[in-house]
Amino acid sequence: MIKGKKKKIKALVTKVGLDGHDRGAKVVASMLKEAGMEVIYLGMYQMPENIVKAALDEDVDVIGLSYLSGEHLIFTPLIVEEMKKNGLDNVLLVAGGTFPAEDIPIMEEMGIDKVFRAGSLTESFVEYIRDNVKE
Amino acid sequence: MTGKNNASEVNWDDYLKAYYEKPSSFKSWSGYDVKEIYTPEDSPDEKYEEKIADAGEYPFTRGIHANMFRGRLWTKREVVGIGSPADTHERLQYLVEQGGSGLNTIADVTYEMGLDADHPWAVNEVGLTGVNITSIKDMETLTKDIPLDKVSWSLITASTAASVTMAQYIAVAEDAGYQPAALRGSVQNDPIHFRYCGFRPASPLDLSIKLGSDVMEYCTRNLPKWYYTTVNMYDLREQGITAPQEVAFGFGIAMCYIDELIRRGLNIDEFAPRFTFYVSCHMDIFEEVAKIRAARRMWAKLMKEKYGAKDPRSMHFRFAVHTAGCSLIPQQPLNNIVRVAYEGLTAVLAGVQSLHCCSYDEPMCLPSEKAHLQALRTQQILAYETGVTNVADPLGGSYYVESLTDKMEEEVLKVMKRVEDVGGMEEAIRTEWLDHELESEAVERQKELDDGSKLVVGLNIFKEEEEKETPMGVQRVSPQSAKQQIEEVKELKRTRDMSKVRDAIKRIRDEAGEGKNTIPPMMEASRAFATTGEMLGTIRQVFGYSYDPMEIIESPFD
Amino acid sequence: MKKSKDIDEMIQQLFAGNRRAASRLITRVENETEDHHEIMKKIYPRTGQATIVGITGSGGAGKSTLTDHLIQKFREQGKTVGVIVVDPSSPFSGGALLGDRIRLQRHFLDDGVYIRSLASRGCLGGLSSATYNVIRILEAMGMDIIIVETLGAGQDEIDIIHIANTCILVATPGMGDDIQAMKAGIMEIADIIALNKSDLEGANRSLRQLQTALSVASLEEGQWAPRVIPTVSIGSRPEDLKGIDELASAITEHQEYLHTTRSIDKVKFERVEEELGLVFKDELQRLIFKGLRGTGKKRKYINSIIEGKNDPYSVVEEILNTYLIRKKKK
Repeated sequence: MIKGKKKKIKALVTKVGLDGHDRGAKVVASMLKEAGMEVIYLGMYQMPENIVKAALDEDVDVIGLSYLSGEHLIFTPLIVEEMKKNGLDNVLLVAGGTFPAEDIPIMEEMGIDKVFRAGSLTESFVEYIRDNVKE
Repeated sequence: MTGKNNASEVNWDDYLKAYYEKPSSFKSWSGYDVKEIYTPEDSPDEKYEEKIADAGEYPFTRGIHANMFRGRLWTKREVVGIGSPADTHERLQYLVEQGGSGLNTIADVTYEMGLDADHPWAVNEVGLTGVNITSIKDMETLTKDIPLDKVSWSLITASTAASVTMAQYIAVAEDAGYQPAALRGSVQNDPIHFRYCGFRPASPLDLSIKLGSDVMEYCTRNLPKWYYTTVNMYDLREQGITAPQEVAFGFGIAMCYIDELIRRGLNIDEFAPRFTFYVSCHMDIFEEVAKIRAARRMWAKLMKEKYGAKDPRSMHFRFAVHTAGCSLIPQQPLNNIVRVAYEGLTAVLAGVQSLHCCSYDEPMCLPSEKAHLQALRTQQILAYETGVTNVADPLGGSYYVESLTDKMEEEVLKVMKRVEDVGGMEEAIRTEWLDHELESEAVERQKELDDGSKLVVGLNIFKEEEEKETPMGVQRVSPQSAKQQIEEVKELKRTRDMSKVRDAIKRIRDEAGEGKNTIPPMMEASRAFATTGEMLGTIRQVFGYSYDPMEIIESPFD
Repeated sequence: MKKSKDIDEMIQQLFAGNRRAASRLITRVENETEDHHEIMKKIYPRTGQATIVGITGSGGAGKSTLTDHLIQKFREQGKTVGVIVVDPSSPFSGGALLGDRIRLQRHFLDDGVYIRSLASRGCLGGLSSATYNVIRILEAMGMDIIIVETLGAGQDEIDIIHIANTCILVATPGMGDDIQAMKAGIMEIADIIALNKSDLEGANRSLRQLQTALSVASLEEGQWAPRVIPTVSIGSRPEDLKGIDELASAITEHQEYLHTTRSIDKVKFERVEEELGLVFKDELQRLIFKGLRGTGKKRKYINSIIEGKNDPYSVVEEILNTYLIRKKKK
């Protein structure tokens, strides 16, 4: 924890790839804001490089990925790899969206800290982020 | 509490509380207060002929056909789109063998964006959520051995690429010896709404109206049995808006096309009989039935009074229902089967023409074969076991439903007035007013779940630890299929006769530039193996946009 | 707390243009960590040389899309660009939705562009002292141009003129009444006014109003005459855009004006004066409150004011007299 003024949690929320179902990402961004976080909303059509570059510039504490169309197993390793390359080892990585239960351990194995499925209540992901931001 | 039925652990205070429990809300899904009981005072019937009327009579509140399902059951369509065109073809045939009566294919995100399978940004996502059709060859594979003059094919393709899809489909059909006039089916073709589904770069407003109207005009003149658009209010509803907003925004978008077709010199009665809608059925049974009844009445009035339609068929609000995907959750997923059944029932009670029941696994993955079949069976149980097909508009005359229908109409009119106040639908879209409406409603829906003012079993009530397995298995898309599709596209681009492609592309460019209908030159170009991305990209350039909606690649024809 | 050795290393990396170092240092000054004074002291000598362009205007006026095009222009001139986008924090939750970065995304992968979003954190519509420090860090990083985009228009936003060498006010048609109200202050705010969305109805009328407002203002001999440039910053087609080149040239001309007339000295003086004042204020407050910590006096003072027994001015006077041993006025 950085001493000084009370530290704000800075989050980056983004869609990945071409899928444009952005309702969930937008709602999550709004809810994190209402929970007092500073949220960089990246929107749609973001490729792993873009996401990590933005996270780097903005020095965020957490990256939230929004998936819907089965692209999670393809993009997750690319993002994790890109994060490693840029030394973002202190950044919490969470994902939300539609996934079969079977994929959750796989995603965690790939490097996602926590997976939230569709239907998660705001409290669950806000609390998780508050309790787990690194540094 | 799962799996423990040891009596000593039962909390009897909780039991008592549950025994005396009352509903926590007396509001409809869209948030309107409803009364304890409705009486004749709530729906005086003196205006029956004028306001309600029998099914098959103007204003068609009770249905567009007098005998409704006795004339013909609804079309049972299950949406298919998975992996390569060949994979999709296989699943289609399976569902037809199982009694599905409509073929319904959906595009993947790359095709929806109008990208070829070999686009650098497409490689990761080809075939993930539907089928990619890059060239006429893919369309041939998809339709192989299917009698195109017998089946009713619904092409829920990418609305943005609907013009290309139609060109490819008609070209394939003609080449196989079918007359275009014999083709039956529908195409989603509502490019305007597609911007709200995440395909904004591919659907600038003017181009959406142009290409959407090209399809409508061409089909009106050449494919009399084809439903050339399904204006998609469903996808708007999925963003979290209310029932009246769904109808009002859908009507607003529909009118953008109608105004354009009239501007092109078509008579309203010439084209309106083939106009259709794609509607959501959400969890509030009565509100949804009332919404659809109100929509039927309002559409009839709108067509008659605003557009001067004379043919009653022009006044018919024809619609397909897709049960509400956003009402399904991954928690306790088998419950989704029950949700879908209620929603499907609602659609039938409301007089649906064509129905897609979501598979229970929609909030987790693409429909598995078992889940697909189960969804089809849900429709078949409705059709053959429940008796709901016997009588037209069985809820008509219910004090509650008639009163709620009036309420829906009143609320739709309010929303339409608001749209008018911001300058009409095109302006509402252009200024992103509509975006803000959709966003703020979506946040409201989340808050209702968070604070429990809207209850969903397994989500904010009766929660359990989540399952570790998907009950009927997970549908995966073989990466091999995608790879093969990409390779085939590359191979095609290497081996086709480029001079022919160039000529065909030039013709598209010239005719689009002259404001002509783009379907005929696109049919020719498809036959010369010009691809989806190439044809759309060329038209984009004519309209001053970048060749590639993602602005990654340049036109190979410049 | 980071060791000062780590901080020194980060600062060296910053001087070499390392974005990871820059972004971490920015977080530290933004959060006012205990070492942020040290950081600022060490980087200060490497600052002061960048051109700072302020872009202000009300929400939805198109600041971000104009910024996007300006970045492009500056990059074409071979200049590196730092961008700071300030958005308001919610007064209720303290959170903020920083969404403007989306509009700048075509520059994400350009190593010559560094973009940072800042929440206003209580400085409603204005700029916090942290903003000054963030600009300094981007200067130390070696950015040639620094664009500071802030919300708010008119009088509230005067802060920006203390920072920016060139200040652009983004107006839109239909804000005619606002323009009337702004007349008096408009010269002080903007060196250039971009009348954005100038393809909208009423744009000509607004253009005339703005030009009239500007023409009645009295200018001294040789003083920069603020100008209005009609722009269109949104359009999927290049030909939909308007006035971007003119806007970029106006910025260059204004810079030349500042340098040829030596007005730049005045601008720099004012910037440092403002900065000094802010640092003083913050530091003094911090020192005093630190001194009161644990004594229970702060609470007593506040309660006495609430109870009507005292007022803030008397309290401050009393505290200053006590702690700074100030000489009494005669």
